[in-house]
Amino acid sequence: MSFKRTIWIGLLLLTMISLVLAGCARATEEPVAPPPEDTEPAPPPTEAPPAEPKIITIAWTQEPDTLNQAYSAMWYSWATTAVWHCWPWQYDENNEPYPHMLTEMPTVSADGLVITMNLRDDITWSDGTPITADDFVFTHEMIINPANAVDSTYPYDYFEISAPDAQTVVMTFEEPFTPWMSNLWQGVLKPKHVLQPVFDSEGTLDEAEWNLAPTVSCGPFVFDEWESGSFIRFVKNENYWGGEPKLDAVVFQFVPDDAAQTAAALAGDVDIAFWPPYEDIPAFRDAGLNIVTQASGYNEGWYFNMREMASPGVKDLVVRKAIAMSLDRASNTAIRLGVVKPVKTFFDAIPAFVDPTLEPWPYDPEAAKQLLEDAGYVDSDGDGIREDLDGNPLTLTQGNTTKEERLNYQAVAQQQLLEVGIDLQILSYDADILFGSFSDAGPAAIGDLDIMQWSDAPAFPDPDTDYWLCSEMPSEEYPWGYNYFFCDETLDALFKKQLVTVDADERAAVFHEISRYMHENVYWLGIWEDPDVWIVNPRLSGYLFSGVTPFFNIMDWDVVE
Amino acid sequence: MSRYIARRLLQAIPLLIIISILIFVLLRSSGDPLATMGGRRVTRPDDRARLARVLGLDQPIYMQYIYWLIGNDWVMIDVDGDGVPETQGSRRGVLRGDFGNSLVTRGKSAVEIITERLPNTLMLMIPTEIIILTISLSIGIYSALRQYSILDQVVTAGSFIGYSMPIFFIALASMYLFAVNFRKWGLPYLPTVGMFDPKVGKTTSQIIWHMVLPILSMSVISISGYSRYIRSQMLEVISQDYIRTAYAKGLSERMVLIGHALKNASIPIVTLIGIDIPFLLGGAVVTETIFGWPGMGRLFIDHLSRYDVPVVMGILMLISIAVVISQLLTDLVYGWLDPRIRYD
Amino acid sequence: METSFGPTAPLAIADAERSPLSLGQLVWLRFKRHKMAVIGVVILILLILYSVVGAFFFTEAEANHTDLTLKFKPPSSEHPLGTDVIGRDILARTIFGGQISLMIGLSAMIVQVMVGVLIGAIAGYYGGLLDSILMRFTEAMFNIPQLPLLLVLSKMLSDKIPSVNLFGREFSGSVVVIVAVIGLTSWMGLARIVRANFLSLREQDFVTAAKCIGASNASIIFEHILPNTMAPVIVNATLGVANAIINEAYVSFLGVGVMPPTATWGNMLNGAYKYIESAPWLWIFPGGLIVLTVLSINFVGDGLRDALDPRALVETE
Repeated sequence: MSFKRTIWIGLLLLTMISLVLAGCARATEEPVAPPPEDTEPAPPPTEAPPAEPKIITIAWTQEPDTLNQAYSAMWYSWATTAVWHCWPWQYDENNEPYPHMLTEMPTVSADGLVITMNLRDDITWSDGTPITADDFVFTHEMIINPANAVDSTYPYDYFEISAPDAQTVVMTFEEPFTPWMSNLWQGVLKPKHVLQPVFDSEGTLDEAEWNLAPTVSCGPFVFDEWESGSFIRFVKNENYWGGEPKLDAVVFQFVPDDAAQTAAALAGDVDIAFWPPYEDIPAFRDAGLNIVTQASGYNEGWYFNMREMASPGVKDLVVRKAIAMSLDRASNTAIRLGVVKPVKTFFDAIPAFVDPTLEPWPYDPEAAKQLLEDAGYVDSDGDGIREDLDGNPLTLTQGNTTKEERLNYQAVAQQQLLEVGIDLQILSYDADILFGSFSDAGPAAIGDLDIMQWSDAPAFPDPDTDYWLCSEMPSEEYPWGYNYFFCDETLDALFKKQLVTVDADERAAVFHEISRYMHENVYWLGIWEDPDVWIVNPRLSGYLFSGVTPFFNIMDWDVVE
Repeated sequence: MSRYIARRLLQAIPLLIIISILIFVLLRSSGDPLATMGGRRVTRPDDRARLARVLGLDQPIYMQYIYWLIGNDWVMIDVDGDGVPETQGSRRGVLRGDFGNSLVTRGKSAVEIITERLPNTLMLMIPTEIIILTISLSIGIYSALRQYSILDQVVTAGSFIGYSMPIFFIALASMYLFAVNFRKWGLPYLPTVGMFDPKVGKTTSQIIWHMVLPILSMSVISISGYSRYIRSQMLEVISQDYIRTAYAKGLSERMVLIGHALKNASIPIVTLIGIDIPFLLGGAVVTETIFGWPGMGRLFIDHLSRYDVPVVMGILMLISIAVVISQLLTDLVYGWLDPRIRYD
Repeated sequence: METSFGPTAPLAIADAERSPLSLGQLVWLRFKRHKMAVIGVVILILLILYSVVGAFFFTEAEANHTDLTLKFKPPSSEHPLGTDVIGRDILARTIFGGQISLMIGLSAMIVQVMVGVLIGAIAGYYGGLLDSILMRFTEAMFNIPQLPLLLVLSKMLSDKIPSVNLFGREFSGSVVVIVAVIGLTSWMGLARIVRANFLSLREQDFVTAAKCIGASNASIIFEHILPNTMAPVIVNATLGVANAIINEAYVSFLGVGVMPPTATWGNMLNGAYKYIESAPWLWIFPGGLIVLTVLSINFVGDGLRDALDPRALVETE
């Protein structure tokens, strides 16, 4: 046996041994974490052996960046908050608000400038410390303090806050802020007794341990462990002031690939899957899994760019109308297997704010052709694409992100528009490129695209949005602006008016006007409704979902084996 | 010898600087980390401007690189947005061991994020590498000795099919077969995704169980390539005169193989391992994505998708440093294996 | 490990040893003995015919024609390979996708060979400081794993190039990006081999002779030395095509590949893998074509490697 061969075998053995050791070490280091010991003097149960712990696993295709909502813009972080955190008011399965930490819904003064919240007196953090108005004041302070690089100060920089007593929080605005209900205190409350010392010693909360491991919180479950890339586990909060949760633990398992998520849900490895590709729905139905769709305010739609750099065609209302009538949106929705509805306005998910007399644009390619014909768009060179009066072909660019459903829809739309003689050049970009700033030459910001498609929601369940405000136009001086569309004085005035119209009926009337105006001018064209889609294993019971606070009743969820 | 090592390490410094400039410029001229920040909607303009200022993303690209390299604790930065720099920078720069804080998981340093994932990746990649090497050595040697035999052709064809398959194909097909369909058919089945079943916990057996499919997929595609390489190295060696001489002396095939051929083929094999080891740190992007394995490959793709420059730079620099070190080690091992090679 | 995958294996160096048969005859003799390589050539020719001749039966418009009433239809007489998620005919798409995939493979290979040979030749021929600089750069590129580099590069370039019109066909700008990106991330191995050959060949008598008669540097590099180092370049180039096709599929899988409206075998697979069970024709055909193409090319490359191996050449007959 040669010397070098011995070395070889030796090396192999060494690696294997170290591997086994590594494996063992990990295994002994990290045993299955039992639910944390009860700190309150709850006597240990004496009767009957403990039942199998009830744990549910939720597939999460994106890993949250942080759990501190002030520092995260991710839906996948925010949606977990109903599990481990508390909101002053939450939303039920009909997206109706109800007071949660409050004795009643907040009261708004007649001029709309003062909003008052009355806290329940029995609410506590999971370590037993009472939650008081001071925590709210502290949270507000932290968010607007420039020492903290929070993701968004909106709308906390609009108001001043005070705490006349431990149970009363008073917010004073300079101008009425009507969409407060869907913008305030959504899972951002911070435990002052934990974080004040951190801020005092470090001068910022940016690196606070609590951001990633909020072991003190106020939801039915409380943070237990987060293994990067793998899962976050929340265990039953033994001190929960709202009752006793039925489950012992909720685990969010990160499954980054859609196909793998589908496989895991079908195999029963996860109890809940979220937002699967629509084409997988039949497979879930066949496997006997429950499918729950819940309006979340999001709609997939076409945004038209009518700034000076856009093609002349898209600025012509006739062309936009023709586009609206050429797209067979009903059959496109059929792609989506009847899970979702077609959509006519940006505000569809909040029916009270949509003019009830509006009718969706009909699918009528013949009428679209006629419309174009009458306006002088004819195909004079016989290439199948119409030209305008100056002989310029009716060629428009359309772009969206690289999500597969959008890529597929692009191809369909391109063909349907070609049938009426409109040439659609389709493009797609990574989201962080598409929405790049004006100074980074982001295609949306610099107006490279005539039509853009993505999914967005107003401030659900409130219709407020500032997309179309003239002040949000991107420019050299204001590179971050996100009104990629145009400045319409009438629309701008209406949007500004709704913001300060305190009376609910009057405000709804303003929105009726907005929705009609946008619909008639085809400023936004709905493609499909984009609700939350949940796939639930039938071994779960008691589950409900809200489009605003997805796990609002997680306390009542149970496992039926 | 130590002078040789020192010289090699010194030479590596400009190399690493070239690499870092290359990647930094590429990354910073791609997307905007603040565009959506992983959310479903575009970031509000005011917040975007404020964060760009606070995180230093509004600086010209060369300044960002300089801050990344040597830190910014020697300058004042403007945090409150009044145009007057008033706060002392706090970054120390890569040269002083600070790779910066992640732009995604803010408040956590890139180094922390990477070291959390490194063990997971090694746990998957080291066994894979061992399996691949063992099997491809056997196949490679076998088909070299029996060149153009029917078995060599079959093994060659088989390995070529593996080599020609995109890995996601094998990964998903095996997942559907062994995890989904086996379960449907009532057979013992393998888990689909993750590193362990959270209901059971992170036990050794769980981890091994979850490793089967990823290792299988990676082995199928890699064994083929490696065995081809080993085959060609062996072929080269056994066509040498001294092997003929050994046969002519009447030595048994086994003796020739072990005593002469394998010994001389070991240098290229060391090269192969030397090339592989640093990339093991990088994990396997596609495999880890499909099987939900919380390793470096997924870390890379997740953070690249949000243009998290500190973390992506950290990962790529870690690999680059590992490449430099492993090349050096490989060369040292050469000298040890083959006395003809000397370094002064 | 797909990150480190590539033709990194050093290739045999062909020196100018001669035997009674001409080099071409010898190579062909050796090549013929590699049956799989011959089969590979045949299959490749068939595949090229498939995507070229097929275009006479379908137009690209038909390949992109969607029909939502026909989605997910299994193979039938009307759609021999079935239809996809939005009712496009898979047969027509594999034909036009094949053109693009093969074109990406070839163009990326050309980029790779041009950059690799140029850098390798210059570094090896001139040596000295230029050599050090070029080799440092090569090493730097080598040190970054290819797939991550591919991803970073294609993300960076993805919005920079508009659609282009070529041969009456419209190509999404991403095709150009992918070709450039794959080509620019896979030339390093070749550059090293070429450099090594140049280093040894430039001291040979025939080079000295050429210098004496006053041949220019360019002429010596391209007319005298390069032809003598073609063997590894050819093998490397062949395998480069296969690698480029596979890399395109990976990049497409990770969502930064060629974008619609252009079909490639790679991006046809992108969504299709989700229906691995329910609509297998979505992935079997493009996937099978990729495997078949790459397989044939690899066989041909292997055959060429064996055939062009100088030691083996001497040995023959």
